[in-house]
Amino acid sequence: MTDVKLIDSRGAACPGPITDLARAYRNSKVGDMLELWATDKGVKADTEAWAKKTGNEIVEIKEEPDKIIVKIKILKR
Amino acid sequence: MEKVLIIGGGAGGIILANSLDPKDYNVTVVDKDEYHYYQPWYLYVAFKGSKRKIGKPIASLLKPGIRYVKDEITEINLNERKAYGSLRITYDYDYIIIATGTSPDPDPIPGLREVFNEYGDYHTSVQNSLKLWNHIKNFKGGTIAIGQASPTCKCPPSLLEGAFQLEEYLNKKGLKSKTKIKFFTPFPRAYPAEPMNKVVEPMVEERGIEVMPFFDLDTVDNEKKILTSIEGDTINYDLPIIVPPCKGTKIKILPEGLQNEDRFIISDKYTMKIKGFDNAFAVGDANNLPTSKTGVTAHLEAKVVANIIQGKYDKFTGRINCPFDTAYGKATFVIADYDNPVAPYPPTRMKHFMKMSMARIYWMTLRGYADPIFDFYFDFTNPVKLNEKYATS
Repeated sequence: MTDVKLIDSRGAACPGPITDLARAYRNSKVGDMLELWATDKGVKADTEAWAKKTGNEIVEIKEEPDKIIVKIKILKR
Repeated sequence: MEKVLIIGGGAGGIILANSLDPKDYNVTVVDKDEYHYYQPWYLYVAFKGSKRKIGKPIASLLKPGIRYVKDEITEINLNERKAYGSLRITYDYDYIIIATGTSPDPDPIPGLREVFNEYGDYHTSVQNSLKLWNHIKNFKGGTIAIGQASPTCKCPPSLLEGAFQLEEYLNKKGLKSKTKIKFFTPFPRAYPAEPMNKVVEPMVEERGIEVMPFFDLDTVDNEKKILTSIEGDTINYDLPIIVPPCKGTKIKILPEGLQNEDRFIISDKYTMKIKGFDNAFAVGDANNLPTSKTGVTAHLEAKVVANIIQGKYDKFTGRINCPFDTAYGKATFVIADYDNPVAPYPPTRMKHFMKMSMARIYWMTLRGYADPIFDFYFDFTNPVKLNEKYATS
């Protein structure tokens, strides 16, 4: 089973959740699963653009009442 | 009398010390450096060659009755309530506040150390800013690559402030047509928070600054003069202006496991209490709070911690208020908190005047004399109000 690395960016508005995602990406390897928690509404568009740019896969984006969860699979590193 | 030990004489450490009454608390501030610097001014040293005096001795900024010790703390044991330094003194305490800021660390990025040593930057010290100014004033044309080497950086607006200052300087010197400014950033756009990006993006375009988004620096080849990103993009440069990655404190903190992979201290985002401890706090840039690393957050966090130590209920709202000099005499502020997004606050001459005035008010702020002004200002510019006024239009 792959470990899922949880990135809790709730509350981050500036510079925002991409900071934590980019940092986690630097320390990741192919096959890793990242789970990003955020409250910043921009997280959906930003992670989609990020995944497109970096060639990684967004497995799921889930909106919960108190947070948005983005699950990412690292395909390229 | 309860002993309060503050590690670090930056904005957070000094404001916290001065917020406690030395008649009620035995307060000690320990810092390895003797001087405190007004860091936002590094920008003007690097891009304008400003000679303003921006350093003052830490001891001179503390209220009478507060002790300052020049010592480099090497180990803090939170279970034993003791800290150890190079003077071989054992510091014991009832409360400890770690306010050590960030330390620049170019080494994780191959090639960056060499470039940093040669060109300096506009973020880390007066010396490094002067080093950069010497390169800028002798620049005759070519490609300038400017940006941050890691997503974790102090003061989010300052990166673009650098590009704006640079463009204004080149324009005034008549070098604009001979120069390309390439602004690289690990974020999706020029300014990371979308609402503020909408405000500044037209200026970036109008001034011919080329933005390279999702450019997270991986290597620097200073012989071939090429930057390469993790994402696989490259920039050829003649002049590199690179703010190195920011890391947390090098002090050994026990028990282990209280720092993240960049050594920032894991603390509660409302109380700044270090995970698992009621009498230990991390304030300002040293902690891992999901907010900007800036003087204003250090200031507001310090006030909250001072209240908590004095037994009053208080919590940090995540408020940021980052002055953003957009050059040509205008500025704005990046304002948000944990519950409210950044407001698209437009740049004006008045805000530029406020940013410039801060360089003077700052020294009063450290001593607590400017508190009434700030209380009024923070309420007046509450992010809820600003978003109501500007976000819809």
